[in-house]
Amino acid sequence: MSAARTGPSLTLKTREAISGWLFVSPILAGFLIFFVGPLIAVFYYSTTEWNLLSQQSSFVGMDNYVDALTRNDTFWHVLGNSLIFAAGLVPLNMALALGLALALSKPMRGVVIFRTVFFAPVITSAVAWAIIWTFLLQHESGAVNQALSLVGIDGPNWLHEPRWAMASVIVTRVLKTVGLNMILYIAALQSIPRDYEEAARLEGANGWEIFRRITWPLLAPTTLVIMVITVVGSLKVFDHIYLMTGGGPQNATLVLAFYIYEQGFKFFNTGYASALAVVLFVLILALTILQMLLKAVRK
Amino acid sequence: MTHHLIKRLIVATALCGAMATAASAENLRFTVWTGSQAHLDMLNGIAEGFAETHPDVTVQFDTIPFGDYVQKLTLQLAGGNPPDLGWLLENSAPAFVEAGVLADVGDTLNATDGYDYADLSEPAMGLWVKDDAVYGVPFSTSPFIVYYNKSLYDAAGLETPTARAEDGSWTWEQLKTDAAALRDADAGVWGYETVDGQGYGARVWHNLIPIIRAYGGDAWTDGTCQFDSAQSVEAVKLFHDMVYADGSAVPPGEQGDFFSGNAALTVAQISRVSKLADVDFEWGIAPLPSGPAGEAATIGQAGVVAFAQGKNKELASEFLAYMTDKDNVATMAAFFPPARKSVLASDGFLTSNPAVTPEQMKIVAEGIESGTVLPSHERFPQIEAEARPDFDALWSSDADVQAVMTKLCEDIQPLL
Repeated sequence: MSAARTGPSLTLKTREAISGWLFVSPILAGFLIFFVGPLIAVFYYSTTEWNLLSQQSSFVGMDNYVDALTRNDTFWHVLGNSLIFAAGLVPLNMALALGLALALSKPMRGVVIFRTVFFAPVITSAVAWAIIWTFLLQHESGAVNQALSLVGIDGPNWLHEPRWAMASVIVTRVLKTVGLNMILYIAALQSIPRDYEEAARLEGANGWEIFRRITWPLLAPTTLVIMVITVVGSLKVFDHIYLMTGGGPQNATLVLAFYIYEQGFKFFNTGYASALAVVLFVLILALTILQMLLKAVRK
Repeated sequence: MTHHLIKRLIVATALCGAMATAASAENLRFTVWTGSQAHLDMLNGIAEGFAETHPDVTVQFDTIPFGDYVQKLTLQLAGGNPPDLGWLLENSAPAFVEAGVLADVGDTLNATDGYDYADLSEPAMGLWVKDDAVYGVPFSTSPFIVYYNKSLYDAAGLETPTARAEDGSWTWEQLKTDAAALRDADAGVWGYETVDGQGYGARVWHNLIPIIRAYGGDAWTDGTCQFDSAQSVEAVKLFHDMVYADGSAVPPGEQGDFFSGNAALTVAQISRVSKLADVDFEWGIAPLPSGPAGEAATIGQAGVVAFAQGKNKELASEFLAYMTDKDNVATMAAFFPPARKSVLASDGFLTSNPAVTPEQMKIVAEGIESGTVLPSHERFPQIEAEARPDFDALWSSDADVQAVMTKLCEDIQPLL
């Protein structure tokens, strides 16, 4: 006779399930209270005309969405800016992260110091980072233009010229965040067995062929994860815009997350801001699913 | 036994007394945007005075940085955690009054002994009174004034703005000429710094409106945009030339801090005197320069308000009345020029700040008497956002000022 039959009436499987649920319940509760709850609330608020200041609210159905998508030119401009930001940041960030990871994944003298240097901005305060770069990018007295002047280049007024402001914010954001992706790539590179590379070398493959036919395909799952989190992060960018350009000049860096903040907390159009937040959510969800599908199709 | 019983009774009575005191103690939360220790010391002094008649009341001043003030305050109100009292700027007042979140303190002011409501300047109360309700009392009706680095002026052998103001030759053209002459790139000294160095962004209105008004223009009058008038355009062109033609103003994308000694001139309010306590140069203040339309003093205003959702509305109204009575307004006048006629006219006002001479304080008093408050509107945040990209378009050397100002008016007119 087994112990299970003489014990309590619950089966082992049920008891294990209960234990499992008990273990995950704190995080599950947090997820429901702080994520699912607000998400549902935002969907509801997006169907209202709600003034945050006066707290007056009325149900308007889909009017906020119709207004944003068909009557508000600024919305499309802002959406375009968000996509430009993502299109600029994601490839740059990933290419740089991969390059750094390839360079710093091999054993060499001082490698830990180099990794620390490139990872340090990730844990640096976003506020401090943005303020320092605002100083570095000053027109005449900024260090960047001072350095350029040494090689005869008259640098632009980076954050105050519409054609340069977005690029400036993208590059400073890449420098701030690339360290995290670099670490993920280093971890992935180090998990690839050395035997594959050695076997390929015996077959006469050169470095580029090894990278293209062995390393890159084996990095695919990590690349997908990095791409998803980088795309999501870039579409949600707020702090750098708020601190470095305030959406200017001439709305050149006015991205969706910052526009939502302005609508909600400066103009008090909370219902409208909620609708824009839902649009951002759907956009991020769609792009994430698309990336997953593309990966699945390639397989 | 009896002895023990008496002892226990005494202890019990004392405990009950302490509990009663604790139960009746009230804490008023008051949001402000200043972080200046001099300002906070003064405000805490006023709170201590209130405690003399309200021994169980404490007032806690919470500093919210200026740039985030309205947003954070709004979130506190919306989140059901409203402060009891707060400061509010002129450009936020109409929206807050319209939203109904401010308490009507009129009855409390009138019921307060010796308050003398009639002593508050009627034009200064304009933004804070609606119908018969009083939604706040301005504690600062502060004209913008010019601060100049006297050491730099003396070294260059130039006549100071104070002297020019006295002989009537202190004009915006003159300020432009002075700024160009005092600019010393090698020494890292700029000529003219805009208000708090934020004249191309957060304070672009503070930067341009005084010049525009001196030239006879304005933001809008009677619901009609005036930014595109010939006078307004001429004024903006003057400032544009300062930035791009003669390089006399700190341009966008550069940092120049008057209070650190690396700009010769700036425009600010008298509260900024607190930043000059330890500087290693001599300084002076002068009225805003005049223009073709004469002198056009421009005033920034801030009021004390009590919030309708506050937990201690009655007590908050009483503190508001106490804070804006004649004595306390006279105390605050050291940094915040008052809206009380009697205080403005008093010798005490002229000597209220030991760092400022009576002659200098007289410049402030005259600015209040003749000045006009900055533009405000119940949809000011939307107007500000709509205008922002247009103002941004000014900041390039080849900007067509007339075209930009025309576009600005086209954009904001529907909101006026």
